[in-house]
Amino acid sequence: MTRHWFALTMRSAGQRVFADRAAVLVKLTFYVIVVTAIGSLWRGATDSNGGEIVGYTAAALFWYVATSEAAIVPLTMRMIEEIGDDIAGGAIAVELLRPASVLGVRLATEIGRGLTALAPIAVIGAVLAAVTVGAPPSALGAALAIPALVLAITCNVMAQHAVAAAAFWVRDARSVWFIYYKCVFVVGGMLLPLQVLPDWLQSVAFALPFSAMAYAPARLASGHVEPWLLLVQLGWLGVAGLAAWAAFSAGQRRLQVVGG
Amino acid sequence: MAVALGSGPASSTDGRGGQAMTIEVDRLTKSFATGSRKRRRTIEAVHDISFSVGAGERLAYIGPNGAGKSTSIKILTGILFPTSGDAHVLGLVPWKQRRKLASRIGTLFGQRSQLWFELTPRQSFRTLAAIYGIAPERAASRVGELAGLFDAEDLFDVPVRNLSLGQRMRCELAACMLHEPEILFLDEPTIGLDLLAKQRFRELLVRLNEERGTTIFLTSHDVADIEQVARRAIVVNHGSVIYDDDVTAMRRTLLSTKLVEVGFERPVDAPVIDGVEVVERTATGLKLTVDTSRRSIREVLDTLLDSGVVADISVIDPPLEQVIAEIYGAPRA
Repeated sequence: MTRHWFALTMRSAGQRVFADRAAVLVKLTFYVIVVTAIGSLWRGATDSNGGEIVGYTAAALFWYVATSEAAIVPLTMRMIEEIGDDIAGGAIAVELLRPASVLGVRLATEIGRGLTALAPIAVIGAVLAAVTVGAPPSALGAALAIPALVLAITCNVMAQHAVAAAAFWVRDARSVWFIYYKCVFVVGGMLLPLQVLPDWLQSVAFALPFSAMAYAPARLASGHVEPWLLLVQLGWLGVAGLAAWAAFSAGQRRLQVVGG
Repeated sequence: MAVALGSGPASSTDGRGGQAMTIEVDRLTKSFATGSRKRRRTIEAVHDISFSVGAGERLAYIGPNGAGKSTSIKILTGILFPTSGDAHVLGLVPWKQRRKLASRIGTLFGQRSQLWFELTPRQSFRTLAAIYGIAPERAASRVGELAGLFDAEDLFDVPVRNLSLGQRMRCELAACMLHEPEILFLDEPTIGLDLLAKQRFRELLVRLNEERGTTIFLTSHDVADIEQVARRAIVVNHGSVIYDDDVTAMRRTLLSTKLVEVGFERPVDAPVIDGVEVVERTATGLKLTVDTSRRSIREVLDTLLDSGVVADISVIDPPLEQVIAEIYGAPRA
């Protein structure tokens, strides 16, 4: 196998994103509407709270929302459901017929797709935030947010594969995606900064991987220069990657022994 | 009907007339546990199957639904572990050396696409070539060769979603030939295709076999696929091999019935013969089925010739479809 198969699979997944321009446009429109709406809500909240909430100004919160949404919107919302369907429907078994890791090809595809969709969303998000509330609160924070977004998407894809692998054992694991995304929304910091949560829930949120998927890049983009967040993301990336690898290896073995 | 079991068209020491073997299966069995914990029972999807396939053969591996075909193919391609028995494909143990084997075989499952719908086949080929470890220059020249072979140069640059099913299947076949596999495993490859597309697809398979020496291992419920592509048929039912011989020999060996069509110069009464049934009757013509286990064709012809002045007479083997149906309907051994 050539060494660049992972990169080529990512590239071809990226080409698939732009092959459906209408879908890209829908995603961008959705993103702009959501960021504008949530940003306006936060502006109202900060205005009635003396111009600041848990250390975030209205401008910082707009950058926060633009970044947290940019970390989630590029991904296929029902990825867990789709992987589950592929396991239950036998598509995964057919993927075993290639001389490459099934998980590797799937990760390359979803990461390639996510990062490709991220590019226009990140650009539009930055322009929207700059036009609405001005430059990012910290240039360094904004710069760090870029690799944090890449890590967030990669970590999210790996975690979703680890969770979706449950379909190797249970008949219907499709509805798990709904619970997963609720976790990303709340304890992942997608809708609101984790500092807004009660102390006990904050502790829970910081102990879970979901914060690496939305909160980390958003926190950096909102002017909090905390580079250690990248290390936290790398740590969760390793955990999610290992979990996905272990779950898929065990699942594939089960599939090979007991059939689909 | 009692089905005569062949031992293979060439009963040499290797079973295939001295050919090099590409597939060797020895007493392969696969059982699955089904049902709840309390009512668990074991089903043998494949039972004690043994056969071998020589290099360059065109084999139809057929059987009714649930006979164990797909399970056998999954074991031979390495995506399923057997419960017992042994198998070697191109000298490799499929379930132990799956990835190594995957780069030497091609697989085409009628219902599953390996092309990406949003991309052109050419773009998909680039990614598949990388996955199969084909250098980019070699991949480009290989795609050129396949375009010529499949007469598909114009199709390779059209997004897959815009191709007809027949065109897509040609591209799918090209995709699984990209890495020059020595064996092609095809599971219902013509399903859903129209008559012309099926015909073209079958011709391609025969060409691949004749020009490249690719071994064809085909499963299909379409009798025309079997007749036009395969030279040898293995029939499985209830998890076991119940027939293994040349396709052309299937009718001869297995049929206990023949059709006789006779035309008389003037209307005659249909003769009553034991073992013979009139299935169609016109003013001067008769169509009869003859149970050859009870009445010889010669006896029937003699009786018909004595019945009136015969203008035309023919003895026909029933279609292969009927032969296969009879094999499928044979009682479990």
